[in-house]
Amino acid sequence: METIQFNLNDKAVQYDGSATDRLLDALRDTFCCTSVKCGCKEGECGACSVLLDGKLVNSCCVAMGAVQDSSIVTLEGYRETERFAVLDKAFAEISAVQCGFCIPGMVLASESILAANSHPTEEDIRVGISGNLCRCTGYNAIVTAIMKAAKEGNGLW
Amino acid sequence: MEKISQSVVKKDHAPKMSGRSIYVCDIDKHGILCGKMLRSKYAKAKLLAVHLPELPDGYYYVDRNDVPGDNNVNIVMDDTPIYARETVEYIGEPIGMVCGPDESVCENILSKIQIDYEELEPMLDLRKADEAFFNYEYGKGDLDKAFSEADKVYEEEFGTGYQDQTYLETQGMMAEPEEGGRMFVHGSMQCAYYVHGAVMRALGCGPAGVHVHQDVTGGGFGGKEAFPSILGCQVAVAAKKTGKAVRCVFGRREDLEFTSKRHPSLCTYKAAVKDGKVTAMDIDVKFNAGAYTTLSAVVLQRGIICADGVYNIENLHVHGRALKTNTTPCGAYRGFGAPQTFFAVEMMMEHIAKDLGEDTLEFKERHLVKQGDSTSTSGVYHFPVPIPAMINEVDKVCNLRAKHKEYAKPQTGRYRKGIGISMHFHGAGFTGSGERDFIKAVARLHKYKDGTVEILAANGEIGQGLRTTFPKIVAHELNLPLEKVFYDHPDTSRVPDSGPTVASRSLMTVGELLRRAAIKLRTEWEDGKDQMVEERYTEPDFMIPFYLDKFQGDAYPTYAWGVQAIEVEVDTYTGISTILGAYASFDVGTPMDYNIVMGQMEGGFLQGIGYSSIEYMDYDAKGRIRNNSFSDYLIPTSVDVPNMKCQLHVEKYPFGPYGAKGAGELPLVGAPGAYVGAVEQALGGKIRLNHAPFTAEDTIKVLTKEDA
Amino acid sequence: MVNGYAPANLQEALEIRRTRKVVPYAGGTDLMVKGTKDAVYLFLGKLPELIEIRSDDQYIRIGAAVTYTQALASDLVPALMKEAISRIAAPAIRNAGTFGGNLGNGSAKADSVLIDYVADAKLRLTSVRGERIVDVAKFYLGRKKLDLADDELITEILLPKTGLENYYYKKVGGRNALAISRVSFAGVILMDGDKIARCSVGFGAVADTVLRFPELEAQLIGKTLPEAKKRKEELLRQYSEKLALTKGRVSAEYRKAVCMNLLRDFLTEKGI
Repeated sequence: METIQFNLNDKAVQYDGSATDRLLDALRDTFCCTSVKCGCKEGECGACSVLLDGKLVNSCCVAMGAVQDSSIVTLEGYRETERFAVLDKAFAEISAVQCGFCIPGMVLASESILAANSHPTEEDIRVGISGNLCRCTGYNAIVTAIMKAAKEGNGLW
Repeated sequence: MEKISQSVVKKDHAPKMSGRSIYVCDIDKHGILCGKMLRSKYAKAKLLAVHLPELPDGYYYVDRNDVPGDNNVNIVMDDTPIYARETVEYIGEPIGMVCGPDESVCENILSKIQIDYEELEPMLDLRKADEAFFNYEYGKGDLDKAFSEADKVYEEEFGTGYQDQTYLETQGMMAEPEEGGRMFVHGSMQCAYYVHGAVMRALGCGPAGVHVHQDVTGGGFGGKEAFPSILGCQVAVAAKKTGKAVRCVFGRREDLEFTSKRHPSLCTYKAAVKDGKVTAMDIDVKFNAGAYTTLSAVVLQRGIICADGVYNIENLHVHGRALKTNTTPCGAYRGFGAPQTFFAVEMMMEHIAKDLGEDTLEFKERHLVKQGDSTSTSGVYHFPVPIPAMINEVDKVCNLRAKHKEYAKPQTGRYRKGIGISMHFHGAGFTGSGERDFIKAVARLHKYKDGTVEILAANGEIGQGLRTTFPKIVAHELNLPLEKVFYDHPDTSRVPDSGPTVASRSLMTVGELLRRAAIKLRTEWEDGKDQMVEERYTEPDFMIPFYLDKFQGDAYPTYAWGVQAIEVEVDTYTGISTILGAYASFDVGTPMDYNIVMGQMEGGFLQGIGYSSIEYMDYDAKGRIRNNSFSDYLIPTSVDVPNMKCQLHVEKYPFGPYGAKGAGELPLVGAPGAYVGAVEQALGGKIRLNHAPFTAEDTIKVLTKEDA
Repeated sequence: MVNGYAPANLQEALEIRRTRKVVPYAGGTDLMVKGTKDAVYLFLGKLPELIEIRSDDQYIRIGAAVTYTQALASDLVPALMKEAISRIAAPAIRNAGTFGGNLGNGSAKADSVLIDYVADAKLRLTSVRGERIVDVAKFYLGRKKLDLADDELITEILLPKTGLENYYYKKVGGRNALAISRVSFAGVILMDGDKIARCSVGFGAVADTVLRFPELEAQLIGKTLPEAKKRKEELLRQYSEKLALTKGRVSAEYRKAVCMNLLRDFLTEKGI
């Protein structure tokens, strides 16, 4: 079996390239998931965050060989969910989106926080997004938006 | 709250939130050539020859020999080359570009290129630098008299370092030859018309030969004011040569090392004090411009105009120079020269007060300018100066005055606290008569037959919300629902030049043009008819003309004001300062959207905190920037700062839309004085700090010295 | 797969390790940043033998591919180890980073490795030829040099079950998250009645390897706290001499000052 098989946003897919290729590059170039952004290529900014088997990871630090038989969720898949709709509404009401480049990573980090703890404290949220750099907002609005989503989550998490 | 200030859902929220926004790096790479830069490895050298390997089919090398027009990028002046000329002037200077379909093949070609250099001696030490790109001097009053009559004279030197904008989306530009010969240039930028003008000159064609469009831009902060003109020319020349679309997107390391940053500074302040008051200041400002002039003239102008801060110093002399060093050329970054001098003046006042045995806040308060006072350049503060009220507002939120007195007492033990205060302003808009004489902003409204209205202007959405606030103004004036008014990313083939997205001018200046245009449209409105209205900038009557040669007059029509307090706890064992609280009151006039303006205040405040504390960047003895990755150049994460508490104090500016003033840059400017002042207070005793960033390492150094 | 092997179990992995030139890949968070060209990766992250945290009568046994997040959720992992790994980078890195990778990277900045040192951890190194148990301090031969044969894999970290409860830990980085350690310090005291039975002190990120000085620690063994207190200044003086540090990302003076401050504070806090 030369190809690498995995599940991407609820679809079975396969990858024909090298097992050492970055997941980030495969997602963007081969699978056209351009919501996954490259901010640094060194695992230091979180712009490329995706969910790998439900866990938040920096896709620039994952080699394709490691995703064999795994499931990957990017914003392209996540944005179809009810949970996303709650986050979307909260971020919109707080105007937490400025330039937008950190946002796909922030959204998945938000999901990661709320999936582990449906009623996080501000401290929990700040730790949860501590691997996602944002230069525009100063983080206040993003933290407030995630708190709001948790409150309005309606038992979704 | 004014109706216009009520927050709305941002018009570009949905595509950005859902990940659908296409930034220039997201465009499908098929059919596009990837461009990779060949860069100088020396800080100063003669470029003797470039030896290329055999290039595979479909791969090209582009350099200055391929520039159809002038090998100059117009950024105020014309000394920045598109591709290096006979000499290279800084490590990383672009010599050429390798383009081809596969990025790794391009990198491989790059690694095989041999360059013959003749190494020359670079100038790297700002203290020794002797070539001043710009040299300005101005003053007022009688300096000599004040110094001769002084009770005491103080002199101190202050320094600030680089700051990198670290927009999350790195620099990226693409050029595509259009059918019919026009060159289409698009990408991440702030000023579409700057790029347009520069590319015209590079290609040696008229305005109709170049079409520039701003793509969704992932942050700018000034870093994409002028730099995209350089990259735009580089890809345009490559596209012209190859006949194909060429895209160049920087990696983060490349961006950190080789793109424009905040000017490092060295400022010497001499102050005369008589009867407990500062009567004169003699200030020398040195900015490290790097290898080419780019925006240094304007950055220096603003820096020296702000040199005496918010204080009424009747006898003043300021001398400023932007000095050449063989390092990455510095440029625009939020604050644009002001953070450097505001830091210096705040610390100077702090130190004088301590020497006189006074509470430093009370000492500063006694010197505050008031409405009607003369500015540093003998203009007038025409509008209210609400600093005293703003200090009270911050005091209410954090107990500023009480803590400031408490922490001034001697502290022992491992953990020590301090609270620092800074007061500052930001001159709203372009310095002097630039708006009237150079920019000459034009904005239009196009009303379609279906009753929707499109705003035609050149100011770019870079996260600060123009795609929402511009339509809010127009919709408000036309009494239309917000959905019927829209503002797209600037496209030079469709919009007039309303000036650059800089100097905190977009909302205040262009927003006001749009408001007037909307009023005009309202009076001329005809249902079902396709209509266009236009407004041109006129300078407000009250302004005292500004003469740049003498630095006299109203440098700015009005000022945004800020008071910031930062409370820290210093761990004397590790040198780490934890920020316990960050508080501010900002007067930016009427907010066009409360959430959007708060987002700007908070974002700018944190950038200022980073600048003061952890964003250390410097070059080594060869002139190479060492902090060239995100693990070495550190910006604040969400756990490096608590929830910042900002509030808006509104003093309406009659010539801004509904009273709005320039807002974007203000919140960064005052942070260094507040942060370093806080650390200084925490460390106590005779410790006096004089540079930013002031890191944990600096703290241990100072403590070790104290103990010795 | 091309340029990679995804063995189904440890035996398969060891066979490949023996016969091919491969780079062991557990979480990938260090490897992928280095980005070695032309590497062939041996993917270990899902091997059943390497992803368990177990306890037997002697040790807490952490599989080499156990991630930090997994360890933080486990009741078996000592609190001191959790202190250190909870401060590694950020959640996304902790979700992927592993104990084996932290060791295999060979860096003195490795946060879990400092604790391994201070805990006198042992490492299980396995190959098709068998296995050996090595003290972590002997595993590091110098800057980025490991006592690891080309056919060996780190398979398990063995921590003592008790004795790490009375600890002191401090990580000093450039900021509060996404920070590589500039100085890290861990100290553990174990009392036997009123006498000090064990004292181990480790300094991370300040030299080519983690630093421990058992000969200095030995001066406190068998002493009561008041007796130890009498020796404190002399001990600190000896530590100061031993800590001949050089410049890294921060100055030698900074490293030295912080190490000595934390050491003194640790001793004081523990009653010495």
